Amino acid sequence: MKLTRLRVEQFKRFRQPVELRELEPGLNLFSGPNEAGKSTLVAAIRAAFFERHRSSAVDELLPWGDSAAAPTVELDFETGGQAYRLSKRFLHKKRCELQFGSTRLDGDDAEGHLSKLLGFQYAGRGASQAEHWGIPGLLWIEQGSAQDIHTPVANATDHLRRALNESLGEVASSGGDDVLASVEAARNELLTASTGNPRGVYAEAIKREGALGEAIREIDSEIALYSQKVDSLAALRREHAADEAGKPWVGFRAQEKDAVARLDAIEGVERQLREARQQAAQLDEKARLLRDRLDGFARDEKDALTRSTARDTLRQKRDDATLLVDQWKARHAEAATRYTSARDTLRLARQEDTRRGLARQLEELRLKADSSAATLARAEAEQASLRGLQQQAAATEIADADLNALREQQRQIREIRIRQEASATRLHFALDDGRSLRIGDETVNGSGERQLLEATSLHLPGLGRLDIAPGGTDLAGLRHAAADLDGQLADLLQRLGLASLDAAEERYRSNRQLAGDIRAASGSLKALAPRGLDALRSERDSHEARARDSANALALLPPATPDAASLPGISEAESAEDAAKHALDEIRARLSDAELTAGNAQTSCEAAERELAAARALLDTPDRAERLATATRNLTDTLAEQRKLQGDIEALTRQVNEASPDFLRQDVERYRRSAEQHEKRFTERATELLKLDVELQSAGAKGLDERRAEMLRDQAQASRRAAELARRATALDHLLGLLKGKRRGLTLRLQAPLQKHLNRYLQLLFPGASLEIDENLSPGPLTRKSAHGQESGDFDALSFGAREQMGVISRLAYADLLKEAGRPTLIILDDALVHSDEGRLAQMKRVLFDAATRHQILLFSCHPEKWRDLGVSARNLEHLGA
Amino acid sequence: MIKLLHTADWQIGKLFGQFEPDEATLLAEARFTTVAHLAKFASAEGVDLILVAGDVFDAQGVADKTIHRLFNAMAGFAGPWVMIPGNHDAGLAESVWTRAERIGAIPANVTVCLKAEPLILARPAVALLPAPLTQRITYTDLTEWFAGADTPAGLPRIGLAHGSVQGILAEGIDSSNPIAAGRAEQGRLDYLALGDWHGTKQVDARCWYAGTPETDRFRANESGQALLVELDGPGALPRVTPITTGQFRWHDQSVALHVSSDVDQLVERIAAFGPADVVQLSLSGHTDLAGHRCLADAIGKARGRARSLLADLSALRLEPTDDDIAALHADGYLGDVIAELQAGQDGPDADVARDALALLAGILDEQRASAGAAR
Repeated sequence: MKLTRLRVEQFKRFRQPVELRELEPGLNLFSGPNEAGKSTLVAAIRAAFFERHRSSAVDELLPWGDSAAAPTVELDFETGGQAYRLSKRFLHKKRCELQFGSTRLDGDDAEGHLSKLLGFQYAGRGASQAEHWGIPGLLWIEQGSAQDIHTPVANATDHLRRALNESLGEVASSGGDDVLASVEAARNELLTASTGNPRGVYAEAIKREGALGEAIREIDSEIALYSQKVDSLAALRREHAADEAGKPWVGFRAQEKDAVARLDAIEGVERQLREARQQAAQLDEKARLLRDRLDGFARDEKDALTRSTARDTLRQKRDDATLLVDQWKARHAEAATRYTSARDTLRLARQEDTRRGLARQLEELRLKADSSAATLARAEAEQASLRGLQQQAAATEIADADLNALREQQRQIREIRIRQEASATRLHFALDDGRSLRIGDETVNGSGERQLLEATSLHLPGLGRLDIAPGGTDLAGLRHAAADLDGQLADLLQRLGLASLDAAEERYRSNRQLAGDIRAASGSLKALAPRGLDALRSERDSHEARARDSANALALLPPATPDAASLPGISEAESAEDAAKHALDEIRARLSDAELTAGNAQTSCEAAERELAAARALLDTPDRAERLATATRNLTDTLAEQRKLQGDIEALTRQVNEASPDFLRQDVERYRRSAEQHEKRFTERATELLKLDVELQSAGAKGLDERRAEMLRDQAQASRRAAELARRATALDHLLGLLKGKRRGLTLRLQAPLQKHLNRYLQLLFPGASLEIDENLSPGPLTRKSAHGQESGDFDALSFGAREQMGVISRLAYADLLKEAGRPTLIILDDALVHSDEGRLAQMKRVLFDAATRHQILLFSCHPEKWRDLGVSARNLEHLGA
Repeated sequence: MIKLLHTADWQIGKLFGQFEPDEATLLAEARFTTVAHLAKFASAEGVDLILVAGDVFDAQGVADKTIHRLFNAMAGFAGPWVMIPGNHDAGLAESVWTRAERIGAIPANVTVCLKAEPLILARPAVALLPAPLTQRITYTDLTEWFAGADTPAGLPRIGLAHGSVQGILAEGIDSSNPIAAGRAEQGRLDYLALGDWHGTKQVDARCWYAGTPETDRFRANESGQALLVELDGPGALPRVTPITTGQFRWHDQSVALHVSSDVDQLVERIAAFGPADVVQLSLSGHTDLAGHRCLADAIGKARGRARSLLADLSALRLEPTDDDIAALHADGYLGDVIAELQAGQDGPDADVARDALALLAGILDEQRASAGAAR
């Protein structure tokens, strides 16, 4: 649809005619400041279409303060290749005229045609409301309402659907949603919406059916019990009648009586039998006593005989025992003698042995004492020699230090002499014979030589004197040193008692020799008396003392027997003594046994003698023979009596056995009990019958079967109703499922083209984003890529600016869709997108430019500078009113 | 000449759960009114004796009120009534009869034969040989004793029994409570009045089932009658005339629909049902939605007229025609749904599909109607 011309007159801001001509088929930008009339123009277009020309509720179309005006709009547009001219005048001289081709429509016809053409409705009465605006309501965006998309879409849904259907070439259901709603409502009356469980009347019907079933089961069991009772009543009555007729207990009573009589008779016989048995028992006792008595007599005689034999035997025994005692006595005496002899031999052997031992010991001790004395003597001699040596050594002893001092002094003296000699003035003289001179104090003759060690005066007799002073140094010192050393040497020698060093050396040598001798002598002594001489002496004394003791002991022994040599050894004598002792003990025991036996035999023998005497005394009583005869006679009589009684007892016993009184007694009991039971049963049954009768009467009064029939009837009705409702519920559920499924399928198919268009714009605004469309064709959640991956948000949760942008592109998509369906599309944006930032606005411009290649777009703005790069020049509305 | 009215199987206390409550009540009520009609008829006809051959009551445990109501309903005939217990109301040790006796419900002119012994009446002078059931089920022939029972000479011998005459039923059916065929002849009876079958049936010249006087089930041919029996004297063959006594006619009709004229015919038939008709209708075959609607209308209307109408349409296949769908304005996906439901009638859930289709058609109809009304 393309609007080519718009003319308004007496319309709101424009009292004077204003005309927009030569509108572009694509974008048309109208600019102007506020109050310039942009909104008036938009209002004019809307009124021309939406408001009925006859409407009296359009006063707001009037110019201010001019109620007489007749707001007029004239529009030229072209759609579907057909040019239209619409003229509409409101409030005064109301008129509507639509011309296209050769057709000219007036009034309602024209408006009807328009509404169908564009897809909107008129208000029934009053001013047109948003709900009537349909497709134009969606595509003509009023100021500040671009973000509101759901309501306009809802108002246009039917038209959009139709358009979609046409575009799909299919037929959607015109009344489908109503049907679906009806079915859903009907279904939800019977089934819960969520779980599909029975509810409402359906649930009640099921419950009632179940309750009746339960009640029927209850009454069934009650009826079964009742029937059972009726049956047992019948059975009891039959039994009762039979009993009443037959009276079975009477027969049993008669039988009981009969049995009692028979039992009485046989009990008499039993009494007789008991008496006979008692008598028999007495006879038995009597016979027994008599036999005992006779046995007593026989026993006495036998006893005497037995005792006589016993006595003889015992006598023999006693004699044998006495003999044995004598034998053992003799053997005992022999054994005692043998034992004494053996004991003496043992004593002598022991004595001789002691003697020999002591003699040997004495000899040994004496030898030892002698040896000790000899050793001691040698040791004493050795010790004396040692002592002499030691004294000698002590006399010649010279200390090593002294010897060395002597040697040193001797050496120094020699050294000084040499030095003196070396330094001394030698004076060699040869005097004529007889002549003498004095050198110093010495008078010399002949020849000789003197060394002058000091100033010396030579007295030449007669001649005078010559004083010679040696010229060498320190001769005086040497002389003093020599004198000192000589003094020292002399002192030492004096102290030592020696004449010279040589003597000292000599003493030293002999002392050393003595020391060697002492060592040898003390070794000899050590060998002889390792523990010293005193030990040797005490050893010698001890041997001597012990020898004396042994000699004393020996002296004390009795004198040796002459035949000592023939005595056996001690051990031999000991075993001989032992054997003799054993033999003696053995024989003594045997002897005492034999003596005991003999004593016992004697005692027994004496007792037997006494018993025999007593027994014989008994046999010799005077009335014994008479008493024996009497007893024998009595026994014979008793036995005869017994035989007779036994015959009686056998006869009675037979009689009782034949009658079986035990069975008879049981019969009596049996018949009695039978009779009692029948009587009792009869009474009980009568009571039971009475009880059953009452029970059944009262139960019968309940009309159980009729109640059951009523319940069955009600249950059948309830079941039928439940089944009907179940069928209805199932059918409705099925139908609802089908309807929803089909509708969903259809919706999906319908949405596909819309989605396609929407995506085309969406990619410009939010690359990679997708916008869902709900079943009312309204935009749903927007899914787009973000830093966190995919994120999805409801349309209403978007920012105002974004919602506005989405609102515009959704509308453009609807327009595309409508266009494809061959529907007229005209897009009006009144001051839209004022909340978009520059970036988005730039994108929106691309979107709009693209859309304008398919649709005519009228864009009204008070910010023309924002739209300069839209590729169209803005028409300034300020100049229109002029 | 003696005039007897032979009836049986009143089944007093029987209820009818298969019908709607109000209908069921009326049908149960009818059993009493029919007895009253019988009594009135007997009085009017000058009947000498009314014989009731068992199953007077439908069950033993009926309420005392019911017992009283029955005997009150019989008050219209003051002559003698003779009845025997049947299998439903057998003369047990404690039974509906002992209770009726105890509560004093049985009027003097009514004789209940609880024992198998001859009953000699003075007016009319007849010898009655009853074979009452004293157990719910017997397998011995309780009429066996008739032949051996001597009755005063010159009196007509009339047997009264309840059970199945052997040899006239299909093999294996109702073999309990047997009655030998030819019992009337063999027992030297002038007439043998039988009960148990709910349809009137002649067994032989002297032996009849009266049937129930008021039909109580769909499968009971020749029911709703009583027998007027005229005996000229001992040995003479009885003249038996069936009398219609039933208030309601029970119809069990199965109809297969194939072409639209079948529907028209059926609609006519349904339209013919009146207040005395109890109808059970089983439909099969197929019809279009228009036909279905016609039928539903007809059935709905007939329900208002007939005593009761049970219609089973579950075997009737719905085949909407293009016209149907167009008429329903079932465009778009509704059309798809209808097509799918139609096809679904061949599937395993045919019933569900059929019901759903009928429902959908109904809803569309309603919407169209309301849309039409709005327009």
